[in-house]
Amino acid sequence: MAVGRTIWDTEDAAQERRRNPAGAPRLTPEGVRRERLWWYFMRISGLILVVMALGHMLIMHVLVQLSGHEVNFAFVSSRWGNPFWRIYDLVLLLLALVHGVNGTRIIIGDYVRNRTLRKALVALLAAITVVWLIAGMIVIIAFNPGNGPKVGPFS
Amino acid sequence: MVVGPFGYRISWAQLAFFGHRASGVGVLVFLFAHVVETATVALGPDVYNFTQGFYHNLPARLGEILLMAALVYHSLNGLRVIVMDFWPRTTVYYRPLVYGVVIATLAAMIPLGLIMITPYAPWGHV
Repeated sequence: MAVGRTIWDTEDAAQERRRNPAGAPRLTPEGVRRERLWWYFMRISGLILVVMALGHMLIMHVLVQLSGHEVNFAFVSSRWGNPFWRIYDLVLLLLALVHGVNGTRIIIGDYVRNRTLRKALVALLAAITVVWLIAGMIVIIAFNPGNGPKVGPFS
Repeated sequence: MVVGPFGYRISWAQLAFFGHRASGVGVLVFLFAHVVETATVALGPDVYNFTQGFYHNLPARLGEILLMAALVYHSLNGLRVIVMDFWPRTTVYYRPLVYGVVIATLAAMIPLGLIMITPYAPWGHV
């Protein structure tokens, strides 16, 4: 007798197929908790982004157009001369990038059935995101506005 | 009803799901490019003003209008998803809400599109 050893695994495999007919990856309890947090993150960051991303687009494309300005170096200097807009852009960059990349991770999880390829794609996406996020934050934080004139709305 | 590449009949309203994904990925791809383009501000006024020149033509402006439409749709449809997640009884109104999102997006894009296209429109050179 091979005690503690599975000799006949057909019954388990059949049970597994009944429980999980699509053969989807099974989450550990930690994985379930992590995915629940991401679920809430997507909704909370989404609500904030509705205001911040649409606000950004309305200012940069509608108000700039209506007020007869154009986005150029002087405009950015003036805008980032105000700490409020630097923090606004930092928060917007962080939330939009993480929200978008997590959405893409979920899309990859839906369509890429090969486990190795899926893990590789998600790891590549995460690596690119970290580089872009750090570079973007450095650009916003380290920018020296100089003594440019005040132009543009909300400068 | 649509019998597309899905292998089963789906309603037009279910396309809201694909629209959400397509618009989300589209905005994300632009965001990655936007970070690079904005980073040239660190190289001084000449380089940055040159980079911004990439936007000063009709195809780029049409792309910006498409970006605005994608963001408006993704925002409104995302709000619908949040409403239906937290108040499950609203799922009874799934179709009216989806059609409402599409109509509201189109309605919002009329003034937004007209304002954004102004520099390239006949009335823009008054």
